[in-house]
Amino acid sequence: MATLEGHIARSFDGDLNALHMRVIEMGGLVLDQVRQAAQAYTAWDPQPAEHVIEREPAVNTYSTKLEAEQLVLIARRQPVASDLKAIVAMSRAVAELERCGDEAKKIARTVLRHGGRPGIATARDARHLGRLAVDLLHLALQAFDRLDGELAAEVIARDRELDEEYGAGLRRLLTRAMEDPRHFEVALDAAFVLKSLERIGDHARNLARHLLAIRPVAEPAGNGEETVTPPPAAGR
Amino acid sequence: MHEPRRAEATAAGGSNGRNRLAEGGLNLKPSGRRHVADSLESSMPARSVGEASVADPVFSCKDVSVFYGAKQALKSVTLDVARRQVLAAIGPSGCGKSTFLRCLNRMNDTVAGARVTGTITLDGNDIYDRQHDVAQLRARIGMVFQKPNPFPKSIYDNVAYGPRIHKLTRSRADLDELVVTSLTRAGLWDEVKDRLSAPALGLSGGQQQRLCIARTLAVQPEVILMDEPCSALDPIATARIEDLIEELRASYAIVIVTHSMQQAARVSQRTAYFYMGKLIEVGDTHRVFTNPQHRLTEDYITGRFG
Repeated sequence: MATLEGHIARSFDGDLNALHMRVIEMGGLVLDQVRQAAQAYTAWDPQPAEHVIEREPAVNTYSTKLEAEQLVLIARRQPVASDLKAIVAMSRAVAELERCGDEAKKIARTVLRHGGRPGIATARDARHLGRLAVDLLHLALQAFDRLDGELAAEVIARDRELDEEYGAGLRRLLTRAMEDPRHFEVALDAAFVLKSLERIGDHARNLARHLLAIRPVAEPAGNGEETVTPPPAAGR
Repeated sequence: MHEPRRAEATAAGGSNGRNRLAEGGLNLKPSGRRHVADSLESSMPARSVGEASVADPVFSCKDVSVFYGAKQALKSVTLDVARRQVLAAIGPSGCGKSTFLRCLNRMNDTVAGARVTGTITLDGNDIYDRQHDVAQLRARIGMVFQKPNPFPKSIYDNVAYGPRIHKLTRSRADLDELVVTSLTRAGLWDEVKDRLSAPALGLSGGQQQRLCIARTLAVQPEVILMDEPCSALDPIATARIEDLIEELRASYAIVIVTHSMQQAARVSQRTAYFYMGKLIEVGDTHRVFTNPQHRLTEDYITGRFG
């Protein structure tokens, strides 16, 4: 159902595939932004943080250009059914990716503000959460790349793990902050960083949901006589 | 046949994700067309998918098959036509949609060697019943064709022709009024009111088509059948006819056969997709064009075969 190919007008296949590829390209850039931002914070290293800030405009350019390409595709091809849903899903994916990029930027800014280096325990929590977020986003992008509904379902399941880790990390952070109120500002920054990483996980999950909208896991049978499960509502 | 043709992305790991995604990304080799023909018969549904029946139908067709000699053009179609609604019949050439339309006013009777089986009822009466007067039937069912076909007469006479032969009016004044109403309803009055005696063939294509619709309305039908009514018209004239169809559906049941899927999506409330003589799927237009249930419908409306 959700293959982007097979049109009689093969140039439409080309257009859809090109759009798909550019969304994945943008995803690759955003993934690296997230990875570098997490690295900058946990190692308290300004270099990757500067890199993130430098590349942030590139993420926005992707977003603007992809939006324009989607509009052109809709205007020129007047897609219906699965084609229309695929384009809408890609448009939503771009929005999620852009927000991931924003979160990475926030984390990078925290490092560049020289607010205060996180303690060993906090850095460890952030590193762990960062790894989970990067893995999740990576998996979501892979699912989107391969149009793999089952992989998308896995992303959604694994986002819960990230949420739990975030909750636990935040509790530990709070305990430490109460023990040593002198570093309260550092703890506040850390809380925002953890929150950003958790949000990145949520965006990865949303990405997976948008994919499920065009690639439901229970594929309708070829004869169409079985009941078709409506795709889950995309979004939050 | 629906697997995406892409390279497998490499396995997850710890290396640079951007490169991995780029390498494992899309296979941009031009894809071959899918060869659907082999599996078509197997994917044809035994019964149509969707909602073939409606409450209080104007037409009700049960197991209607049409044979032209040995060739079966329509295969056991069961489908209702609802009142005050537009039903669009779509499908590739030779799929049976026009044959279906022509069953409804018994136009297939005029084709030598044509045979129709099954039952079609209009307001509950079997239209293929021997008792049924075909001329009377066709007066209740207007038809508009692909090419505008006005008579080589004046604009007035074109519209007045039907009421005259069916003796629908008693006086000249009545007839005049009917001509004006019909032209007005067809959205043509303002353009022709000052030249009613001018030859109809002097009108533009779009005007001629609206004149044909006015001629149909003058006979006060219950149902209007339209066979590709816009395919000979430019986009503006097409938009006018579509606007008119929207107006007319308040009073009539309309069945429109169209090659333009966009047109079907724009003007109809229900869409029926025919393929190889079978009704594959029928349902609310908004549903068919967003969530087609049958793969053949999906492939057709997204331009994957046809």
